[in-house]
Amino acid sequence: MRNALAALLTCLFALSCSDSTGSSSSADLVVYCSLDQDLSEGILNDFEQRTGLKIETQFDVERNKTVGLVNRIITEAKNNPRADVYWNNEIAHTLRLKNEGLTSAYKSPSAQGIPASFIDPEGHWTGFAARARVILYRTDRKGPVPNKLDDFLDPAYAAGGAMAQPLTGTTLTNATALSLIRGNQQMLDWFEQAEKAGLSFGSGNADVMRRTCNGDFLWCFTDTDDAAKAIAAGNPVAVRYLEQGDGSLGAMLIPNSISILNSGKNQGAAKQFVDYVLSVEVERRLAFSVSQQIPLHEGVAMPEGVAVPGTDYQVMDVDWAAVAGAISDRATAFQEAFVK
Amino acid sequence: MSLVLGARSARPWWSLAIVVTFVAAWIPLLPLLEPLIRFDRLSTMLDARTSGLLWRSTWISTLSALLAIAIGWPYAMLCTRWRFPGAGLFRLLMPLPLLMPPLMVAQAWFGLTGMTGISATIFTFGVCYAPLPALLVARSLGKQSAASFESAMLISPRFAILSMLRISLLPALIGGGFAFLFAAGDFAVPDYFATVGDLFHVYAAEIFGHSRNADFTAGATASLPLVLIGLLVLLGNARLLKSQLGYESGLGRHACPTNAKGAAQAILPLLLLALLAVLLIAPIAQIFFETGKQGPLSERTWSDVSRAAFQQGITDGRSSLVRTMQFAGLAGALCLLLAPLWAHLILHCRNRWRSLLVILLCLPLLVPSVALGFGSILMFNQPWLDQFYSSLFLPALLIAGRFLPIAVFILLDIMSRVPDAQEETAELAGCSYLQRLFRYRLGGHTSALWLAAGLVIAFGARELDFAILLPAANSSAAVRYYNALHFARDNFVAAYGIILVALLFLPVMFHAWWQSIRFKD
Repeated sequence: MRNALAALLTCLFALSCSDSTGSSSSADLVVYCSLDQDLSEGILNDFEQRTGLKIETQFDVERNKTVGLVNRIITEAKNNPRADVYWNNEIAHTLRLKNEGLTSAYKSPSAQGIPASFIDPEGHWTGFAARARVILYRTDRKGPVPNKLDDFLDPAYAAGGAMAQPLTGTTLTNATALSLIRGNQQMLDWFEQAEKAGLSFGSGNADVMRRTCNGDFLWCFTDTDDAAKAIAAGNPVAVRYLEQGDGSLGAMLIPNSISILNSGKNQGAAKQFVDYVLSVEVERRLAFSVSQQIPLHEGVAMPEGVAVPGTDYQVMDVDWAAVAGAISDRATAFQEAFVK
Repeated sequence: MSLVLGARSARPWWSLAIVVTFVAAWIPLLPLLEPLIRFDRLSTMLDARTSGLLWRSTWISTLSALLAIAIGWPYAMLCTRWRFPGAGLFRLLMPLPLLMPPLMVAQAWFGLTGMTGISATIFTFGVCYAPLPALLVARSLGKQSAASFESAMLISPRFAILSMLRISLLPALIGGGFAFLFAAGDFAVPDYFATVGDLFHVYAAEIFGHSRNADFTAGATASLPLVLIGLLVLLGNARLLKSQLGYESGLGRHACPTNAKGAAQAILPLLLLALLAVLLIAPIAQIFFETGKQGPLSERTWSDVSRAAFQQGITDGRSSLVRTMQFAGLAGALCLLLAPLWAHLILHCRNRWRSLLVILLCLPLLVPSVALGFGSILMFNQPWLDQFYSSLFLPALLIAGRFLPIAVFILLDIMSRVPDAQEETAELAGCSYLQRLFRYRLGGHTSALWLAAGLVIAFGARELDFAILLPAANSSAAVRYYNALHFARDNFVAAYGIILVALLFLPVMFHAWWQSIRFKD
């Protein structure tokens, strides 16, 4: 009995010493990452293999998407900052970190070729690999599918549709950008009217996508990466871009963004990592992944059938700085309206 | 504290157990005490909205516990007290549903029936936690005195059944109480059913919501009302447990299972098969089917997709599985040492001290796991604790602290049946404390010790809520599963779930195998 216990304890101690997944005690870099774990993890692993650096990663969860990690970075900065790099799957919250004075400037050479509108002039953040906000609709059922946002207010459209609550992630960013155009109260009224018209609200983009694939809804308002997954899984669905045509807003394009945190202890490794993530190679990899993220570098190949922003569809102009300034207050207002 | 002969040599070990438990189980709970010095927290804690959520969580958990009893009680009675073809197999499979991650069961039943909402949540909890009353009922009926059973049979079979019901009522209620505790603190299952159907919230989700605004102290203190409700249930359970510790229904031999005769030989296995189908077979079959499920336009076959999903599950998920097994294994090993010490200490205490120790020991089990995560971050994310905070020792300690009561209760039951005189004789013969504890108190029951550690490992491996928050546990298999489920990687999720379940079943199967070898010897 004693021998068995001793042997077991020795084995477990040896196991814990041979920690294969890294811990910051020996980590060369700490990354907080909001892009889906299964998309970002391979990229992080490849970077480790190439450079020999050990990364500790804190992944985000869908339920707290972006908001949770960003608030955590802000809170930890006051006490015991841990993260060196923040890889955000959207952009407004990264700007919020800049506004809080938590990011440091770094102009990565890998960012060459990315349009200037997706790069911070001071170098605090860089955008890459975007997604567009789209309508995903079932092709095997008849019924009206929206062409513009205000169609959501029409019961004929709304009764068959769904979107995520604007509490986290790209839906919050999208709703904040729209509220800057329409006004905060008007946006809250818009949501109320849409709900009255019969629009359903789900927890997240992937959730409403799944329910559309299951046949619960005729259409949903989601991101291109979720739509790509639904199509790849063989569901009878297709994509429609909202607000196209003369004088229309255009579809919102939301890039990933990356920034170095100024409280990080591993600034050198952080720069190396940012260079790698912003490379053409990583953008191509994300483009050909299941999520089909849209490359921002010029001339990067895209999978067949993926629409090119600006060419195949009209893109909405967004004042990201204004969105970042408003997103925290808007999140609170939406929270009060939606969490009952 | 009343101490028997030899308690002096035990004190250093008991102190060690208390110190380790203090770090593992009680330090993360300290932020919960903040309302005692900040009364404004109390006033915001229970406004109309949160009270509504708390009430909803309470009745959802109560109905879940009742359903667990309704399924677990008859299952245990049938396979413990009747002999028919396959009864042994049904007994063997009884604890397994408890080891399946509730989120996976939820996913399976949604896939099977399309059920969503509060009723689906209650059903899932009931199914997941039915083994708790079943195991306790089986234990008490396994020890029913042959004399009392046979006397009851002489009066009438109906009276014999009534006597079984009477004997197993308390264990069924205790199991239901534990089912309530687990259901009340679970955030992931209601959240899943809210995402696939109409939105609704429970109190645990309210606590989890604090991770969004990173006010972890508010998150920890928000769990206080749930802890108080849990404490009430525990106090009720403690009374019942006390009456069950070392329970023997009369002296002499135990009643043997009755041979099922006539139609009962066919009906009883069918009944149990139906219950097992609900508890285990249907969810696993559905999840297996989902490993290869595709939309109608897909050109790939089910087997191609399923194979690819399992491959991905192994290649992408291997590191998370290794990490999970590392910290869960370490937690199990800690409990191998801590649980006997705690069980022994509790046995040697007077009633009042004993109740206090049991309550303190159970506190981490009453706190929703996500609040335990908040507390750990608040207490351990300090510059001078960086290495410890990021190492897998932290999740291992937390798991050990949280599930230690389960291991202690298993051993307490076994150890209470060993006469004190045996241990005292060993001491007079010059045996050290550890020799007395492991050789004389536990010597004949090592399989119970392994079972206790195995259960801690299994519960630790499926632990999700605090793993989402803690950096050292963030790359666990449960978090990967949760993320993939919400990111709609359905085939991968199903395959990974099957792999995870196979790993969780291993300790219990190993225990069953161990037992069978011992009986052969």
